Formats: sequence, C-alpha cells, structure tokens
Amino acid sequence: MTPALRLEVLSAGDLDAIHAETLQVLEETGVFVEDDEALDIFADGGASIDRETGMVRIPGEVVEAAIAGCPQDDDGPVRFCNFDEGVMYVDPRSGERRDPTKADAGDAARLVDALRNIDSYGAAVRPTDVPAATAAVHGCEAALLNTSKGVGAEATSGWEVRVCAELGACIAGSLDALRDDAVVGFGTCPVSPLQLPRDATEVIVECARLGLSDTILSMAMAGASAPVTLAGALVAHNAEVLSGITLAQLTERGAPVVYGSSTTAMDLRYAAASVGSPEMALIGAAAAQIARRYKLPSCIAGA
Amino acid sequence: MGHEKTLTALAAALAGASYVYGAGMTESGVTFDPAVLVMDDEWIAMIRHFLGGINVNRETLGGADIAAVGPFGDFLSLPSTYAHMREQSQPRIMDRRVREEWESDGATDMYARARVRACEIIESHEREPLDEEARRRMRAVVERADKERGS
Repeated sequence: MTPALRLEVLSAGDLDAIHAETLQVLEETGVFVEDDEALDIFADGGASIDRETGMVRIPGEVVEAAIAGCPQDDDGPVRFCNFDEGVMYVDPRSGERRDPTKADAGDAARLVDALRNIDSYGAAVRPTDVPAATAAVHGCEAALLNTSKGVGAEATSGWEVRVCAELGACIAGSLDALRDDAVVGFGTCPVSPLQLPRDATEVIVECARLGLSDTILSMAMAGASAPVTLAGALVAHNAEVLSGITLAQLTERGAPVVYGSSTTAMDLRYAAASVGSPEMALIGAAAAQIARRYKLPSCIAGA
Repeated sequence: MGHEKTLTALAAALAGASYVYGAGMTESGVTFDPAVLVMDDEWIAMIRHFLGGINVNRETLGGADIAAVGPFGDFLSLPSTYAHMREQSQPRIMDRRVREEWESDGATDMYARARVRACEIIESHEREPLDEEARRRMRAVVERADKERGS
C-alpha cells in the first residue's frame, strides 16, 4: 500500500493517551482471571494477585516489557480471512438455514481454498453432528482435508490446542515444522469487561508453550460491556487484549501473538451489536493503529 | 451487507491491519453463509484494487496519448489502452452490464448468482493433493481424541 493511502483515525497524542489510560486500568482495576495456573504465571511475572477475588493487577512496566517481547509484525500487505465461528449455516444448495455439520465445515474450507481473495481459513462453523467435546477437533480435521491455506482452529481448552496442533503436525511433518509453516493457528476471546475465563487462559498458555500463533481478540460492545464512548471502549478493549498478551509472554517470552479486535458499539435502541457500522470501522481502524504502535500483527473484524 | 463490509474492511486495511476477518458472516456473526463468502471475496477484490492506489509516472500520465487523440477522438484502440486493460478490476458476480442485458439473462440478484457459484465451487474444487499417510495420521488423532473426551 502506498504511504499516501494510510489512514490515521488517532493522532500520536491520542495513541499515547489510550496507552496510558490502559496501563492505569491494568495496574489499578486489574482483570479477573479464573484459572489457578494462569494466576500463578501472573504472580511469578510480577503482577499482584488476589486469590479470593481472582483479580490480577499488572504493573505498567510488566505490560510494556511483554509488548516489547512479542515477535514484531512483518508489516506485509493486508490479508483477508473468513469469519469464525458461526453457530448457524446456510446450505447453498437448499437455501435452508440450519445447524452446521462437519461436512459443512469441509465445504466452507473448500470454498476458502478456491476463492482468490480469502487468504486463510478460520473455523467457519462448529459441527453439531459430532461429539460436542471434540467438535473443534473434527472441524479442524475437515478444514485441513479441504484447504491447503492456513487454518484457524477454535480450541476452547489447552487439550484442544494440543490435539489440533497434532493434526496440523500430521501435515507439516512435526510440531517444530508447524511453527514455521503456520498450518494451524488459534484464537482466544477475553470476556468483556475485563475477564480472562479459564478457556481463554488455557488456550493462551498452551499456544505460548507450543510456540503457535494465538490471536487474542476482544469483542467488547461500547455502551454495554465497555464504555459508550469510542475512546473508552478502546481503553477497555486494549486492557483486555494486553492482559492476554502479557499472560502469553509471561508463559513464554517471544510467544507469537496477534492483536485482535471485534469490538464495536451496541445499538442501544435494539440491544444488538452494530456490526458493519461506522463505529466498528472507527474502532477497527484505531485497533489496527494501536497494534502498529506496539509493532504487533493485528486481526480486525471487517470483511 | 456489501456497503457495511466495505466500510469496516477498508477502514481497517487502510489503518494497517495485518488481517481483516469476517468474510461469509451474516447476522452480526450468528450465521455463516457460503454465498455471502463468495460475495465478500468480490468486495475484497475491489478493496485490494483500491489499496493498489494510483501509479503516477511519465508513462501513466498519458500526455502523449492525450495530445495524439485531441478533442473529439477516443482512447479505445490506443496501444496503451490494450497494454493496461487487464489491470482493471473485473468482478465476476457483480453485473456491470446495461439493464437490458441483465434482464435478458434472467434478471437474477447478486445473492442468487453467488449461491450458484458457491455450489459450483463446492462440487468441483479440489484441494491440492494431501498424501494418504497424512490423512491416515489425522484420522488416528481424531479417533484418539473422541475416545479420550468424545463420549
């Protein structure tokens, strides 16, 4: 992209103010962490832990050291990826909207494989015709069988991360080769406001240990699970994502992470997320700018 | 739909996002729709084209062509037009023809055309071959996972 086309929705001063406010939130309010192992990792890394409440308060210097320890973004051209993860599926043959199957996950992956402008596949649907506890594993298998593009797996536990990584290793050759080939990557969503539940921290910790890419992506809603102002929503969002990135780096310095945003506003008239709105466009652009300030790759909801 | 996705995807891409995700999604992320994925692929092609920007140099400025054609002429058959015509955006699902041509072809809407295309791809496309050994090992991993946790 030519420099002339670069969009800045935040000034350098805006970025500094959001960063400073975020550090204050992490240091004074903190985040709720459900899992004991994750609490131990935060405690060992210099955060102050309240075992009674699960609140973790992280000093600014710990957060900044974590950001600096992440692998830097290559600043390459933007890549596009499909949405993950839908709970319903529209069958293109019949037009029927229904519960998704493993075959649907394979079809979605095959489409991504064929479409020139979709660069990687994220688990488009969670199959409902397989055991619920291994649905992510079946979805990952269906994807890998139908596309040679990179596959994002929707793991919700450390165990699922390991099994999906093993699937990727079947293609890459080994777990070591998997790190270089980016056959399989993962994603984690903190819960807004300011919570890292067990499924999120297990995925973050396991990905860090395996050295596999984890997209830490918040989906706060301004006016509901985050402040109604876009600046305030960005601070809450940033605190959530940085808490996850800090956990990854405290687990394994240099763990590959992606700064993610699906944050938007809630349309307060309908109590519905306004996706595809000018608010989301502004927040997404701002989140991409924040990630660039941190020299991190970013994954932004948009297409 | 299209205009919403273009707004959010273009803003993120222009701000320097590494990945923009969401293709195929409808209903704020409840439902995945293959026909929408095919349409989104086309919006993304247009966004990518836009991100290519405008190439300004001596040749592209076209002063010589403008002087050669002058008033009243046209640029259709110039060598430079042929040389650059394939750089243009070429949507497959969107229909840029005049109304009469669209009507004579059945006057289908974009969603219907995208749905047909999605079915064609699902039925005909094949992933680059994956060796049998890798398939067998993957099957073993999934079966073991089902045995451990799948009941």
